[in-house]
Amino acid sequence: MLKFHQVHKAYTTPQGPLRVLDGVDMDLEKGQSLALMGESGSGKSTLLHLAAGLDLPDAGKITFQGISIATLDEPGRARLRRQSLGLVFQQFHLVPSLNASDNLRLQARLAGRENPSWTRHLVERLGLTGLERRYPEQLSGGQQQRLAIGRALAPRPALLLADEPTGNLDETSAKDVLTLMLELVQESGSALLLVTHSPQVAAPLDRCLKLTRGHLAEPTA
Amino acid sequence: MIVTAMRTLLSHYRRHPGQLLMLLLGLWVASALWSGVQAINASARDSYARAESLFTQNLDSLTRRDGAPLSRETYIELRRSGLEVSPLLEGEVESAEGVRLNILGIDPLTLPDDSGFASAGSGEALVAFMTPPYQTRLAPDTLKALGLARQDAANARPQLENGRRLPPLVLTPNLPPDTLLMDIAAASRLLETQGTFTRLVARPGEISDVPEALLLTPAATLVSPGQLTESFHLNLTALALLALVVGLFIVQAALGLALEQRLGMLRTLRALGVPGRTLVGLLALELLLLGGAGALLGIVSGVWLAQALLPDVAATLGSLYGAGVAAELSLPWHYWLGGLGVTLGGLFIAGTGVLWRAGRLSVLGLGQAQAWRAGFHRQLRTMSIAGALGGLMALGLWLWLTRLPAGEGLLAGFGLVTMLLLASALCLPPLLALMLAGLARLAKKRPLAQWALADLQLQLPRLALAMMALLIALSANLGVSSMVGGFRLTFLDWLDQRLAAELYLQPAPEYFEEINDWLLARPEVAETLPTSSAEATLLEALPANGSARTLTLAVSVFGITPGERLRAHWPLLNTLVGRDAAWAAITAGQALINEQLAIAQGIAPGDRLKLSSPTGPQTLQVVGVYPDYGNPRGEVALATSQLTKRFAAPPSSLGIVLHAGANTISVQNALVEHFGRREAATGVETLTDQQEVKRIATDIFERTFSITRALNALTLGVAALALLATLLAQSRERRRQLAPLWALGVTRSRLAGLQLSQLCGAALVTALLAVPLGIALTACLVSVINVAAFGWRLPLHLFPGEILLTVGVAVGVAALAALLPVLSLWRTPPRELLSQFEAT
Ligand SMILES: Nc1ncnc2c1ncn2[C@@H]1O[C@H](COP(=O)(O)OP(=O)(O)OP(=O)(O)O)[C@@H](O)[C@H]1O
Ligand SMILES: [Mg+2]
Repeated sequence: MLKFHQVHKAYTTPQGPLRVLDGVDMDLEKGQSLALMGESGSGKSTLLHLAAGLDLPDAGKITFQGISIATLDEPGRARLRRQSLGLVFQQFHLVPSLNASDNLRLQARLAGRENPSWTRHLVERLGLTGLERRYPEQLSGGQQQRLAIGRALAPRPALLLADEPTGNLDETSAKDVLTLMLELVQESGSALLLVTHSPQVAAPLDRCLKLTRGHLAEPTA
Repeated sequence: MIVTAMRTLLSHYRRHPGQLLMLLLGLWVASALWSGVQAINASARDSYARAESLFTQNLDSLTRRDGAPLSRETYIELRRSGLEVSPLLEGEVESAEGVRLNILGIDPLTLPDDSGFASAGSGEALVAFMTPPYQTRLAPDTLKALGLARQDAANARPQLENGRRLPPLVLTPNLPPDTLLMDIAAASRLLETQGTFTRLVARPGEISDVPEALLLTPAATLVSPGQLTESFHLNLTALALLALVVGLFIVQAALGLALEQRLGMLRTLRALGVPGRTLVGLLALELLLLGGAGALLGIVSGVWLAQALLPDVAATLGSLYGAGVAAELSLPWHYWLGGLGVTLGGLFIAGTGVLWRAGRLSVLGLGQAQAWRAGFHRQLRTMSIAGALGGLMALGLWLWLTRLPAGEGLLAGFGLVTMLLLASALCLPPLLALMLAGLARLAKKRPLAQWALADLQLQLPRLALAMMALLIALSANLGVSSMVGGFRLTFLDWLDQRLAAELYLQPAPEYFEEINDWLLARPEVAETLPTSSAEATLLEALPANGSARTLTLAVSVFGITPGERLRAHWPLLNTLVGRDAAWAAITAGQALINEQLAIAQGIAPGDRLKLSSPTGPQTLQVVGVYPDYGNPRGEVALATSQLTKRFAAPPSSLGIVLHAGANTISVQNALVEHFGRREAATGVETLTDQQEVKRIATDIFERTFSITRALNALTLGVAALALLATLLAQSRERRRQLAPLWALGVTRSRLAGLQLSQLCGAALVTALLAVPLGIALTACLVSVINVAAFGWRLPLHLFPGEILLTVGVAVGVAALAALLPVLSLWRTPPRELLSQFEAT
């Protein structure tokens, strides 16, 4: 469903070009879950941004459901994200002026696919009952994280891209949130690409790949 | 998607109603002042158009030289001799409501048919107009003066103050305000004039031989009120434009802030799949909605403002130019559209920059506020370049304008002022940034001061716009107040010049000699100063060295008595060979001209003028130029004795100069005692005290500039609001920046003090910059705009007190604007500061 073929990406820095991705190949099947590991600064977020069409590769080809992302124009890529992807960011990126309930429904509404019973189910499962009227700044870190996951899953996307969704949480809450996310992904039938640097988090997923010096490989240990 | 995205964008204002308020406030103020002034202009223009459509404007007219009414016999005689003249009877009546109304009596049968008397119509309508009970034609807005509502107007016969009733009313919209038009017979009865006329009118050029006792005023010498008042309206428009610009500065600041704080939201929305173009479109739609609301609010309050100011404006225009303006608004439909258009247009100018930047940022770049602000350095450079270019353009315009003949280049003059203001405003932020950087280097040893300076540098992108608005408002305020102050001094001088004697009198012509002799015999009277006036055509100007220029310019000729008192009070700008020689030459029969004539025709002392007169062309040498406040026309001054002889104009008024310490009242009483008891009218009832005239004139002057002052003060108020709004809108964020300092052990009161001194310092610098700019502006106003608008130069006066006050006001305004956010910081409990500290 999501394919990377010889993808290259470099950033221009004052010290010259920084080659972050240097020929990445990857293949993610429908309904499959994949953990993407790597050290800090290795390029995991960059890869995720490319997968979401937020940025374009310098060379190589990325296809989603058989369509090359590079052939889409900006509105086309926006449409792809709106209709088929769910994104969970490292820093949540909730809308501060919307309350929890509106934040949760935001993407489903944008996609025109609001499903009240599924949304209610999500609120319940994510433990957000009673917090719907609160604004993001009035929620704890873990609550905000769960809200961000809920927002991404509400339209039942074909693919969920999550960038260290548990990075800001303590170990036990991280585990809880992760378990919950995996269950919900299963329920909604989505594929999952999860960025993490923790082997424990990666363990329950179908596959695991590691990004080192611009290349993807099976983790050694 | 669109609805959800729009609702999400707008949800920002639900959480930050202050920003919404600031946006609406800016739009409201900008469009209120603008549309208020436009309402006044539109209303006045409507009045002028109606006055101009009245035939009396376009006809030559004959009056008696001595000002007495014309008899029926004179009229019949002229008609018999084949002249197609038509009689007019003009007069004033007072309505029962106490309003003075002009009566205009016409004879529709003899009135030249192409003179546009469409209102009388033909056939039956004409018969109704000309036969008892006659008709009173009037514009609907005159009804109020008669205490009538529109629906009761038709055929009503309202009673006047003197008990007489008007002929039945007929509404005729294109008549000037406060004018009642009727058949000459009906007017004669109302005014009790026993069949005399005030004027005879004829088609232009019809009358060639003017009988001895009559004076011909060609239509061409009558300047239409629209032309005369153009510069006044241009001035108002310029002030309104200033307010609009200052208002738009607020809007731009508010928009920038509202967008900057929503960058994260924009990024999230784009990441969730809303295309960038859609977002920009939605932001534009948001602008449109806000603009519509602000413009509507503004136009409504603008009309209200106009209604409040119009009586003053009408009084000003009446006293300055004799132009009648209805005291009630009448607004054409395009006024409303125009107001909306200007507000929306301004909003888009203010908004496109912001939108363009938002549209250009990439999704990933959107999240970083730094990326947004990094542009500021580049902006500073662009600003300095644009400011320097603007300055150069202003210089070029100035050079070009000094070469232009007088009376031209008014628009270019305003262009110069605008350019000057914009260029300085653009240079302000780079200058502030430079100063801050320099000061920060100096303050290395004092960490808190250094922090305060660095922090101010960080705040600069947001404060810049408000500071620019403040600079513009302050310098405009300084410029206009110095100009008005200078105007005032000049005007008082002029009053002294024209009212040199203690008492003034307009004796009846047949008693003139007797009264004059009687006065000169009184011990209190030092001298009498007879004056007279006539109309003439300037036929030729003969430069001292050069060939003669043929002209046909209507000028007024004014007779003065160069006695001791008058010589002391009558200023001369420029003479041929010194003051005393000039006065001696005047007594001997030479002439002075006013500055307007000198500038407009390029006439200098030493040149000679050939003027038409009833006794044949007269050649006079110009021996000096005098300033002449507010006179739109050229004037030639001669000794009264010469005027009487050469222009056949008898003396019309008499100034009475008393010895020092003489009792004015006793002279007045003696004069009335001696002449007031005569059967015939001697004219002593016209005796007026100079003091009284000056008081009235000064009152009128104050009224003239009350609008200018009011608009000016409003602009400064708007700038203060801009500053306050900017500070309030970011106060929450400011607290977040101050929290770490508090956590490091700086007390809250210390922090509040720091904030206050930051802003007052910035305002002080701005105000100090505004001082030279204001002076430059004054120079432009008095030596460019005034010459272009009125044809005479105003001396440059500076008022240190006023300047000091303005600087004080600026700092006060900044302190006041800073106080609210500072108070809120000072009252923030430490616990909350802590939570904000953690949020960073
Ligand atoms: N806009 C940019 N311009 C220049 N360099 C960038 C930019 N974005 C990222 N980088 C650099 O690219 C490299 C990869 O960044 P990326 O964010 O993908 O790392 P990451 O693997 O997600 O790290 P982390 O685990 O810390 O989130 C880093 O060295 C980073 O400094
Ligand atoms: Mg990352």
